[in-house]
Amino acid sequence: MSPYVLVLLLFTLGLGTTLAFVSSHWLLAWVGLEINTLAILPLMVRNHHPRAVEAATKYFLIQAGGAAVLLFAGVTNAWLTGQWGIQQATSPIFIGVISIALALKLGLAPLHSWMPEVFQGLDLNTGLVLATWQKLAPLALLFQIQPANSPLLIFLGLASTLIGGWGGLNQTQLRKILAYSSIAQLGWVVLVVQFSPSLATLAVLVYIVAAAATFIILKLVKSTNINMLAVSWAKSPALVAMAPLVFLSLAGLPPLTGFMPKWLIIEELSKQGLGPAATLAVLTALLSLYYYLRITYAMTLTMFPNNFSGVPPWRLRPLQLTFPLACLVTGTISVLPLTPAAIALVAL
Amino acid sequence: MWFPASVLTSTLIIIFFLLGYPVVTTLVSGPVKPGWAKTHVKPAVKTAFFVSLIPLFLFVNEGVEVVIASWNWMNTMTFDVGISLKFDHYSLIFTPVALYVSWAIMEFAMWYMQDDPHMDQFFKYLLIFLIAMIVLVTANNLFQLFIGWEGVGIMSFLLIGWWSSRADANTAALQAVVYNRVGDIGLIFALAWMVTNLNSWEMQQVFVTVEGFNVTPPALGLVLAAAGKSAQFGLHPWLPSAMEGPTPVSALLHSSTMVVAGIFLLIRMSPLLEKSPTALTVCLCLGALTALFTACCALTHNDLKKVIAFSTSSQLGLMMVTIGLNQPQLAFLHICMHAFFKAMLFLCSGSIIHSLGGEQDIRKMGAIQRQTPWTSSCFTIGSLALTGMPFLAGFFSKDAIIEAMTTSHLNAWALILTLIATAFTAVYSLRLIYFVVMVNPRSMAISPIGEGDPQLINPLKRLAWGSILAGLCITLNVLPFKTPVMSMPPVLKLIAVIVTVLGFLTALWLIAPLGARTQTTLSPNMHRFTSMLGFYPALVHRATPKLSLVWGQTAADQMIDQNWLEQVGPKATVTLNKPLITTTSNIQQGITKTHLTLFLLALILVVSMIIF
Repeated sequence: MSPYVLVLLLFTLGLGTTLAFVSSHWLLAWVGLEINTLAILPLMVRNHHPRAVEAATKYFLIQAGGAAVLLFAGVTNAWLTGQWGIQQATSPIFIGVISIALALKLGLAPLHSWMPEVFQGLDLNTGLVLATWQKLAPLALLFQIQPANSPLLIFLGLASTLIGGWGGLNQTQLRKILAYSSIAQLGWVVLVVQFSPSLATLAVLVYIVAAAATFIILKLVKSTNINMLAVSWAKSPALVAMAPLVFLSLAGLPPLTGFMPKWLIIEELSKQGLGPAATLAVLTALLSLYYYLRITYAMTLTMFPNNFSGVPPWRLRPLQLTFPLACLVTGTISVLPLTPAAIALVAL
Repeated sequence: MWFPASVLTSTLIIIFFLLGYPVVTTLVSGPVKPGWAKTHVKPAVKTAFFVSLIPLFLFVNEGVEVVIASWNWMNTMTFDVGISLKFDHYSLIFTPVALYVSWAIMEFAMWYMQDDPHMDQFFKYLLIFLIAMIVLVTANNLFQLFIGWEGVGIMSFLLIGWWSSRADANTAALQAVVYNRVGDIGLIFALAWMVTNLNSWEMQQVFVTVEGFNVTPPALGLVLAAAGKSAQFGLHPWLPSAMEGPTPVSALLHSSTMVVAGIFLLIRMSPLLEKSPTALTVCLCLGALTALFTACCALTHNDLKKVIAFSTSSQLGLMMVTIGLNQPQLAFLHICMHAFFKAMLFLCSGSIIHSLGGEQDIRKMGAIQRQTPWTSSCFTIGSLALTGMPFLAGFFSKDAIIEAMTTSHLNAWALILTLIATAFTAVYSLRLIYFVVMVNPRSMAISPIGEGDPQLINPLKRLAWGSILAGLCITLNVLPFKTPVMSMPPVLKLIAVIVTVLGFLTALWLIAPLGARTQTTLSPNMHRFTSMLGFYPALVHRATPKLSLVWGQTAADQMIDQNWLEQVGPKATVTLNKPLITTTSNIQQGITKTHLTLFLLALILVVSMIIF
């Protein structure tokens, strides 16, 4: 793709999310979301592969549907209440409809079924963008609509963690596993958003750092399924030694960073009197732990037999930039002691 | 001025040191010199015997009995266990007898085992056994007795399995251990009962504090222990199987000393037993049954050592009957007499077996009287003493027992069985003598028959003197504890001799016209029953292990391990989660209709729930 087009598309992508962040008018928010969708579509079909085209088509349909319903709800709200403000939406029906639409755009269960198929059709770079940047705009809107005492959000959150756990267990394709892990992590975010948006923000930030790290790791070892992970130890031994920590941080294992949001969310849920919900969320985290462990097992804990010519690739210089990866991996592994600073940072 | 008690104490401690010194030196220093058995073990036992005569004579002269209570071993708040040795009438007489018999057997073993490469280890085992037996006999508390009990059990296992390359020897040793262990259940139960109810294991305290308790449970436990150790019916198959061990082992353990340990326990605990009529009746009936059953089995067996083993078992049954009659002293008397002639019978059988080149089947022996006069004479003397020929050793005890039985008011069935067993004793003894010593030789033409070695002859001579004179010596020098019935009808007085003579005559009548018999095959069913030992080993040795193995597999392995701890526990997570996992991933069919349908349904659901 021509670099001019690439730069244009990336800038548009940034513009869309920024528009959604800064808007307080439903129409502008919808514009931002649509620009996001349209900007990423050419990035998805960059290599003109039929599978990528299929993934782009499905993505477009889903996102367009969600955005349309969002617009419909906003317009109806304006018609009934006479104002377009995002933060002044108080009618529970509209909040419910908008929550469902945003859930579709985010890929929360039970509206998650497009995520694995779309991710599987993309290469890892685009998948990275989809998993991290594209979640920011809908989340910003979700944080602002302020539902109170909404069992819907709790249901969405728990269902997402469950489905994210169960779904990932039957997969060998790494992109689908990462899709399900994204569903699960966003489930945790949605669980706590109505009680403490700051904690939700923290969870999102930690998730973005960790997910970015995983995508870049997989790009570096050029693996898209678990079998291809088997020879990744020969490509960069140091990275493969670090990778389990990144995956287990996604799983929420102390003393890695991923434990921080989960711990704080459980604490907040318990304070709100939702003990069973907290217990269920923790137990479902075990399900996702199992497929993360499977990945680490195939990648690092076992050395599969390889012939002699498979051993030297680590001597070649990688084409990927490694400095961002270094920062991301450090952030994924070692930030847990900074929890008080992190809480203070996100307290709004 | 010397005190008899301190002389007794000193001599008895010297006996322990004499016996223990050879064992300890083998544990401490390196390998022993060849001929260690001859220079260390046999003189130790011989010296210990002569030393043990001193306390015996002091006891006979002055009636001195000693209890040595040393070292307080362990204690809880209210319960002490210590080491205490009791040298009373029973142990003071038994120790010299046991040492005399052991001396003879050790000297015999030096001839019998001279070709064995591990002869020194064999003697060491015999010595350890002897020490354990003396610990058992002199124990004043049940814990020490249990130590001796287990000690003799373990040494029996090691000695029966001496020729351990032989599969039969290993199974026989295992059989001995298992049957003894079953009896130990009873002993441990009795120990536990005494600890919890009487607060002590010291015999003196037990006998005093047991007033008013229902002593049937511990008494039955003790009877079970004796049944296991002394091969009563139900726990008897190990004794014939124990003949897999070398002959000195059979002579020492399985005729004189170890198998009488059970009876000795009952004798020691007789003040407890006599308070429980149930236990006494059980002893009576069990002993009578054992005596008759094993005598029947001896009638048709063809292995020389096994027949003698069955006769041992029969005599043990007789001792059990005596205990059931509440006559512990008569039982003890029979133990001492029985030691002499039974050991001699075994030594003679060992001599015969070696002479015929390892042949143990009596159908392949015969007519060795001219060639081994000492052996066959001692064999005859021993058999006569066994049957209770008047004024040999066995007569004094056996006749007294049968007199006590006929003049008591107890179980007539037990009495009849015992009399029949006495008759059978005569029958199989005559059968043995006839087949082994008399008539025509059926052995190999060239056999190393001979008995020139003095190490063989001298023990036989000593034990023969013992078989002849011991009865007279012991009965003249000890006072009976219970008053014997002195006047009874002449038939009852002579019933033992009459029955024995009847047995002899019947046997003679059966044997004599062997050449001219018209009906050569008798009823095969009875013969089969007694040859197969009543089918008891064949049934029990398969059924009991199979039952326990099947239960073990079903209950422990299949039910608990595989089911409760695996399938209902960890594997349940797999079985419960797998359908959910497959369902979740099967939603992805690759069509957009699924995605949008779910969206529509969610919308409708949310809106309807909020509206209603």
